[in-house]
This record gives sequence, structure tokens and C-alpha cells, in this order.
Amino acid sequence: MSTSTVYGTKINVVTTTADLKSITELIGSDKVEVSSIATGYQNPHFVDPKPSYIIKLSRADMFVTVGLDLETGWSPQLLSSSRNPKIQKGSNGYVDASIGVILLQVPSSINRGEGDIHIYGNPHYWLDPVNGKQIAKNICDGLEKISPENKAFFEANLNAFNTKIDLKLKEWTMKISPYKGAKIIAYHNEWCYFEQRFGLVIVDFMEPKPGIPPTPTQLVKIISEVKRNAIKLIISSPYFTTSSSDVVSQQTGAKTIVLGTSVGAFDTIKDYFDLFDYNIDKLIKGLN
Amino acid sequence: MNHFIYTALITVSLLSIPANVFSQADSIAKPDSVLLKQIEKQLSSSQPTPPPLQARTAPSTLPDISVIGDFQASYKDYVKRKFDAGINEAELALQSVVDPYARADFFFTVGKDQLTGKFNFDLEEGYLTTLSLPAHLQLKAGKFRSALGRINPVHPHALPFISLPNAYSNYFGEGINDEGVSLSWLVPNPLFYQELVVQITDGPIDNPSFSRSVGNTYFELAHLKNFFDLSANATLELGFSGMTGANFYDLRTNIGAIDLTYKWKPVQFNTYKSFTWQSEAYFSNANIPKESIVNSFAMYSFINFQFSRRLFFTGMYSYSNKPYSVSTVENAYSATVGWYATEFQKIEVEGKTTSSNIEKEQNQIFLRWIFVIGTHGAHQY
Repeated sequence: MSTSTVYGTKINVVTTTADLKSITELIGSDKVEVSSIATGYQNPHFVDPKPSYIIKLSRADMFVTVGLDLETGWSPQLLSSSRNPKIQKGSNGYVDASIGVILLQVPSSINRGEGDIHIYGNPHYWLDPVNGKQIAKNICDGLEKISPENKAFFEANLNAFNTKIDLKLKEWTMKISPYKGAKIIAYHNEWCYFEQRFGLVIVDFMEPKPGIPPTPTQLVKIISEVKRNAIKLIISSPYFTTSSSDVVSQQTGAKTIVLGTSVGAFDTIKDYFDLFDYNIDKLIKGLN
Repeated sequence: MNHFIYTALITVSLLSIPANVFSQADSIAKPDSVLLKQIEKQLSSSQPTPPPLQARTAPSTLPDISVIGDFQASYKDYVKRKFDAGINEAELALQSVVDPYARADFFFTVGKDQLTGKFNFDLEEGYLTTLSLPAHLQLKAGKFRSALGRINPVHPHALPFISLPNAYSNYFGEGINDEGVSLSWLVPNPLFYQELVVQITDGPIDNPSFSRSVGNTYFELAHLKNFFDLSANATLELGFSGMTGANFYDLRTNIGAIDLTYKWKPVQFNTYKSFTWQSEAYFSNANIPKESIVNSFAMYSFINFQFSRRLFFTGMYSYSNKPYSVSTVENAYSATVGWYATEFQKIEVEGKTTSSNIEKEQNQIFLRWIFVIGTHGAHQY
């Protein structure tokens, strides 16, 4: 087995986000040592490429990325500086978790005038638990390449993960089914996969265009949309301030809630399953 | 009988009510088995995972291409032509991985000659960087900005001020950007990040401290970077640089430098607030004709504070001698306000005043508008 010099016989994995860390831990179990660069309450688009991350990457056996240019502002530089050929793009230790995921909002043309759009499609795909299965499969494939003798072990964990996702998905879908079709406002365009899976309808965004902070004109538009559609809820993320959505709340009575975008966003979100437990419960409470 | 009639009336009444009145209640009250069937049907359609038929953006072997525009306007009270404006520089960047073993970065610049007003095309940087050397080594070969302190490796458009600190420009002009090789080593220090860089280059042309020697004297530089995570939100970087090379008189100049940078940025709201305090000091030892030596000193210190998502302020102080004149003393102060529309566009306004014991006070106002199109690689932390 290819092993890290730091963690003895364990495979040393570095992931870009805490969700990928959680899934890697569930698949790799006691055969992996995993660390994440971004925290769960951090905007994964904007992570400072601190030199200390280079140390982690220089010792890694495997690197797992969300891909689709989500981390384009920081991970390529860290990878180049890591001096670690095992985890460079194209190597066995480089895992793009997005491979095989059916993407939403793939642009037919690219124009930055539309804001901070992603050329490959919306990269927040881990917010659909069914996509979690594809992520887990990609991670499992990556671990098998590094440690083929543990193939059966990883695949048993993958099957257990998939079974649990199926069970939990039934529970989550049942819980939220009375609210199917509920109209909401979101701060940033990062919920399309969650919206599609759980049957919500995001009417508009606080940001006039992805990455552009809310403007007074946009707030006026949102206030009128909230009133017109009797919208009860504005959803935001831990790394956005709620000052602008609070203005809309004051004007309309719609509630602002902060959902978890990643594992670790809040103390109670300890793994990938908790992420959806938290968000579904919070949404139901908000919509009630 | 009465009971039968009463029940029948209620049944008829209920049937006559439009069905949609109960639709919300019905959806909640559906037996779980019906709902479960629906969910199972939905789940079966989402079982993994045949390879997707969805086409992704066409792959390309073209490198990342970007162009950065730098429009500047200035007012200077100490020159004859006080107002000036125009494209200061356009930078074309081409960056890509070459193969599994190396990546290449090219930066071409189209800069305005201040005397003639004509634009000149030049290679600002062009280098190959290895990705797979053993022992945590990385080799760079080509033309590159030297690993001297904190300002020199950074392209001017990425700095949070417009006019370079006098301490820096008096000793290094617009920067040391030279041809040669660079070897960096990630020191296996278990306690903190440590990187040692050693560079040998031809020797810069038109630099206040160094010149390209006609003989066999080359420009040699070493930089030791020490980086500490003080907390999740705060970091400290302490760097030591030493360099030696031929000077204007084809004698040797040696410069030692220390850089210290403290950064604070809350991880959760890192796009809204940040604070940086950065300082560098240069100790120059220049040999000049008649076996004389000039030991001189320069330093700058600035703070950069981010007030909101788009608004930044930088305040800077600089103290400087000159490489061949320890008796010259310059004190400069500047204040810069930057408005960042997005990560692809920023506008900055700066006021700067320089007093000197040799020349009369100089006051300057700058405006800079930086914009980028295409895909531009991230800058160093």
C-alpha cells in the first residue's frame, strides 16, 4: 500500500471542503487520515492559499476537490507549490469529486457580465444527497487506486453509505413533502441541487448577479417579489452577512434563516447526513 | 332513520366542496405507504450511476489566458507637466501545465515609455516550474521576479497601493526581474512552514543597486520564509533575504532584508473584513570606487484595512537613504482608498507626499483602474 510517512499505515487525504472530508472518512474509515482546507462555515470560493496548507498537501497521498472551478482561486496555486507529484491533476491521488455528477445550470455561453458564473455548471452539487453517492463513488475509486488491497473494505463502506443515503432520503423527502413547491428567496445561487431534490422553488436571489453584493434596486425588487408571492423565507449561508436580508424581512415579514452549506457549518452538523438533517429541520421550522 | 339522513346530508355536502380546498390537507394526510411508493419511484430514478450523457465544456489544451489593463491618472506638483493619464500597462498572461512534470507561466507586458509616449512590448516574466522533483524541491528557470521580501515577487497590479514605497524604489527601482534559475526547498520543519529559496541570475539592468556585470559576477539571492498560523484567523510571516551582485561601478553590493507581515482575516466572513500590517527593512552595503563603502538603510511599513466587502484603505510610511548616499534621507507618507467592484476590477485613489533633506517636498495624487479579462492565476498569500 502506498502510505504516508506521517500517518504510518493510514492513507493521508486532503480535501478542499469539509463535505468531501466527511464522505472520505465514511468510505475510508480507519484506513484514512483526512483533513480539509476549507472549514464548513467558510465560503469555498474564497479561501486564502496560506503556506501552511502547502505543508498538508506536500504530505498527502490523495487530494479530493469539488472541481468545476469552485476552488479555482486558490487550489491550483497550492497544488503547484506542494511539490507533490502524487496529487497533481492526472495522477492517481487526484480525485475530482464532480466526475459523473449530472450538472445543473451549465452555461451555453460564457460572459462575466452575468456575474461570477462557473463555466462547467453550478458547482454546489454536494447539496443534493443523491449526488453524495456519486461523490462517494469517486472517492472510493480514488482510495482503491492508492490501496487496491483494501478494495473490498472501501466498497463495503460505499454500499453502507449508499444504503444510508437511500434511507435518509426517504425520511428527508417525507418530512419536507408538505412544503413541496414552497417559494423562497436565496442569498446566493448555490441551492439549485437542493431545490431540485426537495421540490422547493427559489424565486430570486439577494445578489443581483452571482458574486455581486445586494444593491438597493435588487432589494426593492426582492421586497416586491416577496409580497407578491407571499414568500415566507429567505435562506442564506453562514459566510454571508444577513444585513440586506434583514431589511427585506423588516419590510415584508419574511423570515431569514441561515442554512448549512457544508459539514461543520454549525456545531451540530458533524457529518454529511447531519447537513441535510439540519437543513430540512430548519427549513420546516421556517416555513411553519 | 334521522341518523341516516343526517349522515347522507353531510356526505353530499362534503362531496360538493371543491377538491382543492383539501389539497394541502390531503398531501399531509396521505398514507405513508403511498408517499413511500412515490419516494421509492423517485429514488429508483436516481440510482447510481451510468456514465452521464451530459456534455461538459469542451476540454482544451490552450493555456489560461488573461489580459490585465492598468489605467492611471496622476497629478505631480514637482514636474512641469503636472497632469497625466493613460494606459500605464497592459499585461498578457499565458499559464498552463506543460506535462506531468512542469508548468509554464508567461507574462508579456505592453508598457508606455514615459519619455516618448510609445508602447513597448516586453517579456516581463517567462519561466518553467517543476512539479515533481524529489525531497520537496522545486526548480524554476527563465525570467522571473526575484524572491526578495514581500513586494518584489508580486505584480504591481496586485499590490494594495499605487506608488511603490520610496524605500523599495530607491534600492530596487521597479523591481528585480531577472533571468536565471531558482531552487526552492520546503524545509521539513514539523512546527511551522519554512521555505528556502536560492536564486542565481544574470544581474538586473537599470537597477539602482545592481547592474549586469560585464565580468563573471552574477546576482545571487537567498530568501528564507517562515510562516506561522497564530490562529484560524491570524498569520505571521517573517522573512530574511540576502543578495549580492555587481553594482553600477562593477563592484559588489550586498543587501540584507527582513520582512514581517501580520494578517488577520476572519475565516467565516473573510470577504468582508481583513487587516494586514506589512513591513520591510533593507540594509545595503555598496562598494564604490576608491575603496569606499556606503552602508545605508531603508524601510517601509503599511497597514491595509478592509472596511467592507468592497472598500479598502492602505496607509504607508517609508524612510529611505539611497544606495550610494547615506546622507540622503527621504520620508514619505501615502494613503490609498480602494474600491473593489469584483475580483476582476478595482479603482484606487492615492495621495502621497515625500520630504527629503536634498530636494523640495513632492506631492502626488494617483488614480488607478485595474481590470482583468480571462482566467488569471491566483497570487501568493
